[in-house]
Amino acid sequence: MEAELNQAVSLGTTIMAAAYDGGVVLGADSRTSTGNYVANRVTDKLTPLTDKVYVCRSGSAADTQNLAAYVQLYLHQHQMELGGDVSVRTAARLAQQIVYSNKAMLQAGLIVAGWDARDNGSVYGVPLGGTLLKVPFTIGGSGSAYIYGFCDKNWKPGMSEADCHAFVVKAVSHAMARDGSSGGCIRTIVINKDGVKRHFLPNNEILAAYGELQPPLPASIAVGGGGAAEMSP
Amino acid sequence: MSGIGTGYDLSTSTFSPDGRVFQTDYAQKAVDNSGTVVGIVCNDGVVLGVEKPIVSKMLVEGSNRRAYAVDRHAGVAVAGVAADGRQIVNRAVQEAVSYKNLYGDAIPGRVLADRLASYVHLFSLYWYSRPYGTASLLAVYDDDGPQLYLIEPSGAGHRFFGTAVGKGRQAAKTEIERLKLHEISCEQGINEVAKILHSVHDEEKPFEMELAWICEASGREFKRVPAELAAAAERQAKAALADSDMED
Amino acid sequence: MLPVPTSHSPALGPGCAGPSLAYASASTRSDIAPPSAQQPCCGSEPFMVDPSAAAGLGLRRHTDTPYVTGTSVLGITYKDGVMLAADTLGSYGSTKRYKSFERLAKVNDATVLGAGGELSDFQYIQTLLDELATEDYCADDGMQLTPREVYAYLSRVLYNRRNKFDPLWNSLVVGGLEGGVPFLGTVGMIGVHYTDKHIATGFGQMLARPLFRERHRPDMSEEEATELLHDALRVCYYRDKQTTNKFQIAKVTAEGVSVSEAFALETQWGYQAFVNPAANALGTW
Repeated sequence: MEAELNQAVSLGTTIMAAAYDGGVVLGADSRTSTGNYVANRVTDKLTPLTDKVYVCRSGSAADTQNLAAYVQLYLHQHQMELGGDVSVRTAARLAQQIVYSNKAMLQAGLIVAGWDARDNGSVYGVPLGGTLLKVPFTIGGSGSAYIYGFCDKNWKPGMSEADCHAFVVKAVSHAMARDGSSGGCIRTIVINKDGVKRHFLPNNEILAAYGELQPPLPASIAVGGGGAAEMSP
Repeated sequence: MSGIGTGYDLSTSTFSPDGRVFQTDYAQKAVDNSGTVVGIVCNDGVVLGVEKPIVSKMLVEGSNRRAYAVDRHAGVAVAGVAADGRQIVNRAVQEAVSYKNLYGDAIPGRVLADRLASYVHLFSLYWYSRPYGTASLLAVYDDDGPQLYLIEPSGAGHRFFGTAVGKGRQAAKTEIERLKLHEISCEQGINEVAKILHSVHDEEKPFEMELAWICEASGREFKRVPAELAAAAERQAKAALADSDMED
Repeated sequence: MLPVPTSHSPALGPGCAGPSLAYASASTRSDIAPPSAQQPCCGSEPFMVDPSAAAGLGLRRHTDTPYVTGTSVLGITYKDGVMLAADTLGSYGSTKRYKSFERLAKVNDATVLGAGGELSDFQYIQTLLDELATEDYCADDGMQLTPREVYAYLSRVLYNRRNKFDPLWNSLVVGGLEGGVPFLGTVGMIGVHYTDKHIATGFGQMLARPLFRERHRPDMSEEEATELLHDALRVCYYRDKQTTNKFQIAKVTAEGVSVSEAFALETQWGYQAFVNPAANALGTW
């Protein structure tokens, strides 16, 4: 048991991002584990880099938190020089440079996504070795193995915001249904020219998958209201 | 410059009592005595033109460059001390490369102009350095469209629709102000620049004209204007000049 | 020439094999003895030296293995110049993760580069070459790096990095036209380099080169050369699991460099014997 707890705190994870007509949707589960112990059941793996660019983190929690903090710092400094918003590509490139040039030290699989005036919504994958890939959608983390088929089948170019959001929620929920390292709630973010919208789907409101049972909802909820919440970022 | 500057013009690290830094003023003079350099922003790009006095009959044509590409999307034309100009051009190339490497995008015009101005300014801060005797016209085509910047020896940098530096700058600027820059394309622009350079030129002495542009016709890359087009612009400029002489 | 992928934490996704933890601990490694009755376990644990540290195994050596990889690159010379071919897959271990990664890149007006192996290292090499090309552009003297110069440069870069025990994990193919003469060369991750009339890296060395040896002529027409590459790619698709049926062909001719749109090849699965392979060989599967 002790050996279990000495393991690295890791985002055994499902993360994804998908571009739609005019923006992007990012999604993630909320589980952080230390071996078999759930260290945090309501983690936020969607981290802001700038106002309109976010990163989905997978891998070592410590590595990715610090990496994101560095990218935030560099981007904020750079925005001063630019006198305006940085592009999603610049954010992704900075993250990629850090991952690539420290690949011997880092365990970080990232997805950088956001909106800028030049490219609209864009999604970049930055997997382990520090490759930089512009993609229409991508998935990552341990849970992603279970939903490649689902995503390849259900992602369509030029989806509406609602369709794309539904696609992301469904994909993440299916990954959580089969991956023990993914779980908890589903957090999503929609970014487009109008701004950033966060959504939160509590665990007990996720549609039960095959072989599962829909849990009864508690009679009263201590904090906040029931139902999928929509919040400001 | 005798009299008032006396004693206060030996170093950039000393102001004169009336608030001038004479060394940068003198550096500006090196620019003011140079061949004219003109830049205009047309509706589809930027045109730069340089008037280069031919210093010797034995000079190999085209060997005294004054307009340089610093990246695919940016170029600089320098007036004043040509050797100083090359340092500034080298710095611009380095800035463009390092920006691209770090941020993944081509360096925006404003950032490049800011960084070049800071670089030039550095040389007017310390007693042991001499300011650059060069003004640089920077032409860029980035996501925000075509832009023209001027960086002076003092480190001041401004963005222009059109401007000129060097000997014929006053007359050239008057001519530029007459142009309807929003209405002309770079293909017309090179003719206008050629005309301006010929009209402000001291007629007796021979000169070589260097034209460069960045526009749709050049594939949004900073390039020398193709030889045929440049020659045509020169012919047309000479003809126009002869016409106006006839009228006089 | 291609290394065996891959080892990293399964937390990062599928396609992995090998040690799953960055710091191997007694609980996950069979070669490290767990604390036992023979060892003091009460009170003295803090003074025990971690066996993995003692064995010098505590290092994390991520650069020993590639992560996102491309497979073979093929190249042949022909009458008008050089043709390179590759598929567009970026593998993640055995996962076919990125299906539209272009592994053939224009270097300048007379040179193309094809790459297999770690694709982040390939992107790094691309930035090096882009900087050189921009330098040439700015010099504006009409000169560009020749294919042979690009090839020599890359061989030095890769050899230099392997001497730092930090190799760029790639097999590269450089193709181009130099004074009207086709140039074709390859550079491996430890710096080995050679030129030839036809070249294949990785699995292609086994699958495609026999075809090249049989059918390649330096005076092939464009149609013949394309057909030969198609046949070689098809074999790679049949017999290399890291290959997908989505290919590109790059061409260098006197007209310049062109990289084709991605295309799929017709494949043949309709042989009668395929339907019931055991019919004519009783007792087999």
